[in-house]
Amino acid sequence: MIPPQRKENKMIPSQMLKGILEGCILKVISSKETYGYEISEQLNKYGFSKISEGTIYPLLLRLEKNSLITAVYRESTNGPKRKYFSITSAGTKELTSFFESWQEMSGAINALFNTKGEDYEQ
Amino acid sequence: MNNKVKALQKSNNQLDKGIKPENQEIFTSMICYIRGANISLYDQELVRQDLTGMILSAQDRGEDINSVVLGDFKEFCDEVIDNLPARSRKDKVLERVDILCSGVAILGFINLLFSRDLYRIIGELFAGKIVNYQLAVSLGTVISMLVILAASFFIVNLVLKNSFKSAGSENRKKRMIIGGIAGVLIMVFFIVVAMLGMHVLFTVNLFLAIAVILAFFIAHLILSRI
Repeated sequence: MIPPQRKENKMIPSQMLKGILEGCILKVISSKETYGYEISEQLNKYGFSKISEGTIYPLLLRLEKNSLITAVYRESTNGPKRKYFSITSAGTKELTSFFESWQEMSGAINALFNTKGEDYEQ
Repeated sequence: MNNKVKALQKSNNQLDKGIKPENQEIFTSMICYIRGANISLYDQELVRQDLTGMILSAQDRGEDINSVVLGDFKEFCDEVIDNLPARSRKDKVLERVDILCSGVAILGFINLLFSRDLYRIIGELFAGKIVNYQLAVSLGTVISMLVILAASFFIVNLVLKNSFKSAGSENRKKRMIIGGIAGVLIMVFFIVVAMLGMHVLFTVNLFLAIAVILAFFIAHLILSRI
C-alpha cells in the first residue's frame, strides 16, 4: 500500500533520513533485483521526496561492502552497463532487525507525542 | 596496472565521451578528487564507471549532474571513498616504488640524452679516437633528479586534493601568492644547481648507466602489471 503523498516541499530532514535510509533501501531491494535509479524512484513513490541516485549510491556501496547485498553489471538496452543489486541472506536478517528496531522506535515516538492528549496530527 | 584495470579504463574512456560539456567540469573534478584517494585503481575505475552511468542516464532523462548528486560534490566523493576498502600498505608501497622506478628511468634517460659526455663519446667514436666511456654524474644532476621526483609527488597530490577549489577571487589571490613563491623557489633552485653543477660526484660507465636506466624501466613495467 502506498501512503498518501506528503505536503509539497515538506522534505524529510537529511539527518533524520541518515539513520533509516539503508534499511529502506534494503526493503526495496528485497522485493526484486533492481538498480540505483529504480530504487530512488521507488523510495520517491513511497513518500521519500528528493532521494537522488547519488544520495543512495554511497549507501549501496556500504551495503555491498558489508555483504548485505550483491551487485552484478548487466548490459542495458541503451547506454552503459547497469549495476543490479540483490539482497543476500545476511541482508534479509539485517532487514528484519531494522524493522524490529523501527517498530520499537516509532512506537516510543508515537507514545511520546501522544502523551497528555496532545495531538500533533496535521 | 593489470589487464583488468586497463580494460575497464579503456571502456570508461569511451563512455566519458558521452558526457555533455556542461556536466564535464564537475565530473572531471570528482574523478580527480577520487584519484587522490587511498583506494585501489580498480575501485577508482569502478566508481568512475558507476558515476558515468548515472550521469549518462540523467542526460537521457533530460536532467543534469545536479539531479544525480544533490548538494556538495566533495561530500559525496568523501562518502563514496569512505565506503570502499582502503589500499593495503603493500599496494601503497608497490605503487610508490613503481612511480619512483618510472621517474628514475625517465629522468635518467633525459639526463643521459643531454649529457655532454655522451656527445664527447659519440665524437670520439666517429673520430676513431680511443673512447673514454665514463660519464660524469654531478651533484647538480643528483639534486635536480631528487627535487623533481619529490616535487612531482607533491604537485600531483596537491592538484588532486584541491580539484574542487573554486576560482573565486579569494582563491585566485592565494594561488597567485603561492605561484609567486613557487617561482622564486624554482629560480633559487636552478641557481644552486648551476653553481653545484660542476662538482662531479662520481663517474659511471656509459653501458652501466644504460643498464641501470633499463633496469628501472623494466622494474616499472613489472610493478605496473601487478
